[in-house]
Amino acid sequence: MSTVRINHITKAFGENVVLKEFNETFDHGEFVTLLGPSGCGKTTMLRIIAGFEHPTEGELYIDDTLVSSNRAFVPPEKRNVGMVFQSYAVWPHMNVFNNVAYPLSIKRIPKAKIAEEVDRVLSIVHLNQYSERFPNQLSGGQQQRVALARALVAAPGLLLLDEPLSNLDAKLRESMRFEIKEIQRNLNITVVYVTHDQTEAMAMSDRIFLINRGVVQQSGTPEEIYNRPVNQFVADFLGKVQFFKGTTENGMIRFAEMEGQTLPYDGPKTGNVEAAIRPERIRIAKEETPGALKGTMEQSYYLGDVNDVRVRVGQTTVRVIADAWTYNEFQTGDTVYLTPVDFLVFDDEGSLQEQLQINT
Amino acid sequence: MKKTARQAVPVLQTHGRSTMAVRLALLVLLLLGAGMIASGLAGIRAYKASGFNTEEAYSDIYQLNGELDDYYDTYVTTILAQLTDTQREALRSATDGLLMEQWLAGGEDAQARVAALLEKAQDPDRMEYELLTLSYGLSGPKVTSAVKKSLATVSQRDSFRQELLLCMLDENQAVPEAASAALEGLTGTERQSMLLQLFFASAKDSNETVPTDLINSLKKSVRDSSARLTAYEMTVNGQVNFLMRIVYTNSRSVILLGILLSLDVILLTFLLKKEKSWRVDFKWIIILLIVDFMLVFQLMPTIYLLVKSLFPEGSLSLETFKRLYSYSMNWSALKNTLICATFTMILGTVIAFPLAWLVGRTNLYAKKFFRSLFVLTYMVPPYLGAMAWLRLLNPNVGNINVVLRWILGIQGSTGPLNIYSIGGLIWVLTSFYYPYAFITISRAMEKMDPSLEEASRISGASPVKTVLKITFPMMTPSLIAGALLVFICAASAYGIPSIIGAPGKIHTVTTRIIEYYGLGTQGINDATGMAVFLMLLAIMILYVSDFVVSKRQYITVSGKSTRPNIVELNKWRIPLTVLVGLFAVIMILLPFMTILFTSFKVDVGKTVWEAGNFTTSQWTEIFSRKETLECLRNSLVFAVSTATIGIIVSCVMSYLLQRTRVTGRKIPDFMIALGSGTPSVVIALGLIMTMKGTFGVNIYNTAYIMIVAYMIKYLMMGMRTVVSAMSQIHVSLEESSQVSGASWLRTMYKITGPLIFPSIAAGWFLIFIPSFYELSMTTLLYSNTTKTIGFQLYEYWTYTSQPQASAMAFGILMVVVFLNALLHRLTKGEFSI
Repeated sequence: MSTVRINHITKAFGENVVLKEFNETFDHGEFVTLLGPSGCGKTTMLRIIAGFEHPTEGELYIDDTLVSSNRAFVPPEKRNVGMVFQSYAVWPHMNVFNNVAYPLSIKRIPKAKIAEEVDRVLSIVHLNQYSERFPNQLSGGQQQRVALARALVAAPGLLLLDEPLSNLDAKLRESMRFEIKEIQRNLNITVVYVTHDQTEAMAMSDRIFLINRGVVQQSGTPEEIYNRPVNQFVADFLGKVQFFKGTTENGMIRFAEMEGQTLPYDGPKTGNVEAAIRPERIRIAKEETPGALKGTMEQSYYLGDVNDVRVRVGQTTVRVIADAWTYNEFQTGDTVYLTPVDFLVFDDEGSLQEQLQINT
Repeated sequence: MKKTARQAVPVLQTHGRSTMAVRLALLVLLLLGAGMIASGLAGIRAYKASGFNTEEAYSDIYQLNGELDDYYDTYVTTILAQLTDTQREALRSATDGLLMEQWLAGGEDAQARVAALLEKAQDPDRMEYELLTLSYGLSGPKVTSAVKKSLATVSQRDSFRQELLLCMLDENQAVPEAASAALEGLTGTERQSMLLQLFFASAKDSNETVPTDLINSLKKSVRDSSARLTAYEMTVNGQVNFLMRIVYTNSRSVILLGILLSLDVILLTFLLKKEKSWRVDFKWIIILLIVDFMLVFQLMPTIYLLVKSLFPEGSLSLETFKRLYSYSMNWSALKNTLICATFTMILGTVIAFPLAWLVGRTNLYAKKFFRSLFVLTYMVPPYLGAMAWLRLLNPNVGNINVVLRWILGIQGSTGPLNIYSIGGLIWVLTSFYYPYAFITISRAMEKMDPSLEEASRISGASPVKTVLKITFPMMTPSLIAGALLVFICAASAYGIPSIIGAPGKIHTVTTRIIEYYGLGTQGINDATGMAVFLMLLAIMILYVSDFVVSKRQYITVSGKSTRPNIVELNKWRIPLTVLVGLFAVIMILLPFMTILFTSFKVDVGKTVWEAGNFTTSQWTEIFSRKETLECLRNSLVFAVSTATIGIIVSCVMSYLLQRTRVTGRKIPDFMIALGSGTPSVVIALGLIMTMKGTFGVNIYNTAYIMIVAYMIKYLMMGMRTVVSAMSQIHVSLEESSQVSGASWLRTMYKITGPLIFPSIAAGWFLIFIPSFYELSMTTLLYSNTTKTIGFQLYEYWTYTSQPQASAMAFGILMVVVFLNALLHRLTKGEFSI
């Protein structure tokens, strides 16, 4: 269980800056996820930790040892780190046993001990009976578990995972999520996990670092960043959200596009603001409710467990995730009243579009 | 991670014809094919029965028929009209007598046949004259050149000829001036004969009745009298059926075409049955055409060689081989070939692997430059290298030897290194064939998923250990393929062993083949025997290589951008760069500079710097020679033709292979691959033995045989580039064009074409360049008018003057380098070989 200390690391490829002043610490036994859209720099950061890239500026410490900087550099093979690659990188010319035994065979550990350790990790990933097989005889999921076993066999303090589940089908992905999390908890190993799938990140992480265009937007527990996002990008990246522009008045926000309807607000922001409302946090009712937004039912999409609804309020459409029973009760054209349970308010700098633009 | 290839979609939609019509058409074609074979056989039988010596007789005869008709109408009728009836009668009996005399030698049978002819003739007079004209042309009294000269002085031909006829009728008639010399001392029938001959000869200004070359050609064929009789009968008998004419004059070609047609129909039927539909797709026609080409020019010669050497007297026997290898020279040639090839393979691979790794996977300085440089050597004529190293390592005056002697203080004037040895041969072979391994290995290295090596690093293995435990084992299939390629190239090489081996009497199988070839008929058979051995070796190796590579396909194409993990060399960076640079200097710069310097020398024995030894005359000399320019023109024409046709075929084949699911599309592909793996000498020999007309194709000694040979050998180069380029264009790019409404043709032109154009250009050059400087095949296939630049160079070096040859060589080198640079520019440095 190693600690990772990232000290103001910047990485640029020529003119292109992919990481800006990354400055964080990952603790013992933490499951940390680097989350963000494609090209945001998360994989680059992971590779810097692994030692496959050099930081342009800044320093990297693993367990208080300086491993990357302008002056010092410890090569990957000396960092005692385990890594699982997106393509698994399982060697086709070796069988499962040899693949997993490889890190130990480098260290010249006696054969008996190697067999013992390999057995141990293979049982962790439930692949004992496949140890003689070759990779081309295994499914994708099995290959991935071989990669995981290999990364764990030398009992590293730090485990790096580069989008390991993105090539698996949905069901397998879900089950593997829990398996990985289980393993991490049992072994109490520090994990740095890279993904663009926010559901994955939320399910597995102790802390999430949301990155956009090389800059960490927010870091925190899943609950923190979901419920208290610091900007529109974070709010939008996690879960579903809608933005409405409005102006503050005494104790409320007036929404121009909703024919001037208002919602009560007593927070600190003033002037032009943007309200971020999550569709599942809106209550919908047929009866008139004080402080609610009045609108007309437009569309309903029955999803089995919920009713995904569109309500026309003024000139804008509000999306609501309602209870399933509302599907039969609320018809198109009905007048409905929407009450957000809670919502976020951000400054409207007019830069929403820019922030949300995915950097490829 | 495996990437499953998506099956290509047949994009071309052709309209189907109805089942009945197709079946009928096929049947008709099959019958046509059978008919062609039958009539061709009949033609051969007729020829054999006729007693003619050559088949050209038929075409001669048909041509003569026309000439004789012409002659009679133009030159005889008018004269005869001016004679009186009595005169004509008398003339008739005179010529009758002459005719019978001419034919007496043929015996009674001859007389009977002539009588029959005359009886059936519509115009016996005319027929008689035609018979006489012909027989006098073939075996009449000689008209000497002196007589021809005096005939030339005659101005009034018609009256002259009339006078000759009158002389025939009356012995006392005065002989015209021009004829007197010829008739001097002749009496009786002899006189009549000569008068008649002069009559015939003086018809045209050329003083010959019928064209001399026709007569000569016919003479070759009708030596014995019965053949001559048949020829006469055929000639004067009037028009032969047009169809018969074609068949008789081309019976073997007709048979060949008949066989091909029938084969095509059978194959087509088989394909249609397999597809369970009777829609004829024109793609199949294309496949069949290519298969036909390969069958005739590649398979047939190969099989012929095999049959000739394994069945020398009709039954399977290894006599030929036993006899050949009982000679110690052949045995040592075999040993030499195998030893050289093996060591070249080992040395070449040992050099190529680290180079490929350094240049492709580390942070060596000037990687791109080195890579281009090593690939460049691949495109330089190997015999150039031989010439250069000869000058450098010549035991007496070689530059390197001189320097070494000076450094090591060796006394005497020879050594320490001798190029005229097996070692020397291995050295030069390695220096020119290691790029083959280099390129194969580089390609594989670039395609390897870098995360495989990264995984090893993160597991604790140092860069060196990673190379040994991961990179190297995964490269093994490509290593083997590269090594085998070097082996077979070295074993099939001709240019280098002939230049280096000759003075030291070191023979290889290829040099022996060419030596045997020069020894006449028996020699050709022996050459065949040795060639077959080489060919079988090549096929075996090709098969093994293919088997090894396909069974253990470790090359994984990673989904993400393949930026191979760069290995940091740190403190080794500069020393290794220097080492590689040194290698480049020794292998490339040194030989090329030597050639350059040699080309400026007057006396080869002295250095360029010695007083009076520098001259540019060698250069001006060769470029002013007409033959050089002719050879250059030939080389250009052949290479351009080969490249253009070759690239078109490559494009078609590539499309068939990757964008259609047509059954049997792999067959021509396989044959093309086989062709490129066959040693050049074997290809040439096979063509020589089968393309002289025996099998219906006669392109021997023409430009066509050269182009065919180059095509067979080098088509693969074009194929590989185009196929590789097309494989990188996902079929959805074309599909989306189609969905947008564009026709197939438009899609090819606007979408696929531009995308693969650089590769097409690259492929064109890759076929052009080796065709341009080719030597081995040219040595066997050239004729006086089809010499190429490579061959010319070889002759200069061996027979004329080394400095001149060097000048020429450097010229060729400049052209090749220029073309390579052009190629590089065109494809933005990305062409893959």
